[in-house]
Amino acid sequence: MKDIIRGAAAILIVSAILLIINAKLSEGGGSAGKNSITVYNWGEYIDPDLLRQFTEVTGIKVIYETFDSNEGMMSKIEQGGTAYDITVPSEYMIEMMKEKDLLLPIDYNKVPNVENIDPYFLDLPFDPDNQYSLPYFWGTVGIAYNPTLLEGQTFESWDDLWDPSLKQDVILVDSARETIGMGLNSLGFSLNSTDLTQLRQATDKLKALSPNVKAVIGDEVTPLMINGEAAVSLTWSGQAADMMYENEDIDYVVPEEGSNLWFDNMVIPRTSKNIDGAHAFINFMLDAEVAAQNADYVGYSTPNLAALDFMDPEVTEDERFYPNEETRSHLEVYRNLGLEMLGVYNELFLEFKMDMK
Amino acid sequence: MAKLSKLPKIYLAVVFIILYAPIFYLIFYSFNSGGGMSNFESFTLEHYAAVFEDTRLLVILINTIVVALLSALISTAIGVLGAVAILFMRNKAMRNAVLSLNNILIVSPDVIIGASFLILFTLIGVKLGFASVLISHIAFSIPIVVIMVLPKLQEMSPSLIDAALDLGATKRDVLTRVIIPFIKPGILAGFFLALTYSLDDFAVTFFVTGNGFSTLSVEIYSMARAGITLTINALSGLIFLVTVVLVIGYYMISRKTKSPLAGVRK
Repeated sequence: MKDIIRGAAAILIVSAILLIINAKLSEGGGSAGKNSITVYNWGEYIDPDLLRQFTEVTGIKVIYETFDSNEGMMSKIEQGGTAYDITVPSEYMIEMMKEKDLLLPIDYNKVPNVENIDPYFLDLPFDPDNQYSLPYFWGTVGIAYNPTLLEGQTFESWDDLWDPSLKQDVILVDSARETIGMGLNSLGFSLNSTDLTQLRQATDKLKALSPNVKAVIGDEVTPLMINGEAAVSLTWSGQAADMMYENEDIDYVVPEEGSNLWFDNMVIPRTSKNIDGAHAFINFMLDAEVAAQNADYVGYSTPNLAALDFMDPEVTEDERFYPNEETRSHLEVYRNLGLEMLGVYNELFLEFKMDMK
Repeated sequence: MAKLSKLPKIYLAVVFIILYAPIFYLIFYSFNSGGGMSNFESFTLEHYAAVFEDTRLLVILINTIVVALLSALISTAIGVLGAVAILFMRNKAMRNAVLSLNNILIVSPDVIIGASFLILFTLIGVKLGFASVLISHIAFSIPIVVIMVLPKLQEMSPSLIDAALDLGATKRDVLTRVIIPFIKPGILAGFFLALTYSLDDFAVTFFVTGNGFSTLSVEIYSMARAGITLTINALSGLIFLVTVVLVIGYYMISRKTKSPLAGVRK
């Protein structure tokens, strides 16, 4: 009995010491008073040094938390319990959050740096006039491939994936919107098509692809491509950048018929308790030099036109990640199609998967 | 014990290699000066240095450890008392009912537990953070402790308690000098199991973290999108080391308490 009590006491003392250390460490932000904001972002999606800079410039302390899915993030904001001042959902989630009345409109008097953003990325259908959101990072969906494994074959069009020589070589994403979307794109239809005949045609075309499909998986594709175990995959540009960083043989292309343009955007949730602080943070992140530093760290494409001047030209001139006008004109942003239509997409995707042996 | 013949030995070795290979692979690359896990360039300790430089990561690590220690301690205390109470319940139907309720909590999915805690906390106005995480970790650890302790209690001969009572022990004495020393191995096992449960729980914890308080599992999951850095490898290596130390500690303690009645002597 005695040693149990002794053990318990030891644990309590150790915990107390650790808590004191923690209190000391979190004080490190060095700001006085209660002026702080809570930022809720994807993991590894900001240069931590910028949070320090922000506190230095504005005196506002940043409490920083991370999430791993749009859906998880929304459920926590909806339920309350933490007063998040900034979060960074993807474009389709913004439409849903708007419907649920979870967002506060942005006051543009407090965000002069909005002029740094490339107008191409503003006023898009998921948030007309950017009433609630400003773009943070963006990217495309395309084909990542390893020419050394394919005898130098290259890809320009979605149709190249149907090439009979690619037997069991292609890896698809286990996501209905991306895969059905690829079928739609290859036929020249809109990614947001709700026309059942078009969707049927796209699914039938996908079924013809099945002899070439090696697997339909999620994020696990990155190590497969890096290790040369897979030759071709349908991939997001961010993921492709990761692959190319690890394996220089890999190349990435946005097919000429068009593709998806995706966004993550800064918004102010309705739960915000420091709305001025939230605006200050958005404005800070849109500063040209800050955005450039952040893009260097994260490795995704920045929508900040002014920031490009502060970045390595080798990066910003890379048309795979900063596509030219011509490619851009074919890109399309996902719309929230509603639950019913999403069900149709899912069902067709399932049909396609079941059709494969 | 009979000596193991060759085949089972090989089999055992293969199983252990399969279990440990990924961990050592991960730790091996934590010393890689290259950016990723694909090719080893040269030896470096920079990723370990990065762990100690990243204050946010350190704060989260300490949070995780403190929550694990405290929740394991408190849930062990509550769980042991609960198990004793279940053992001494007169009404058999009642005892079975309580035991079943305990078991339901063990098998119910973490996501459900997490979501219901989130709703409960926001409903009664508990601020999400340290307290909410600690409370929910204690809650899901208690049933595990009960399950670990109960068999030890049932193993105990009732005449032991009768004898103690005959010799003039008060009920308190019986609990602290007879029952608890006897079931100590069960208590230790319950404590360590609760500790590991708390350390690696993601599903419940995700829902109840907030206001800047987070744990390692939540943090690592959210990194998945942008790719997990070698800093996490280094951190995992450190945690593995701590775990090994804990296990060795556990064996030292449990060796000492081999004779269950040693504690009765004054």
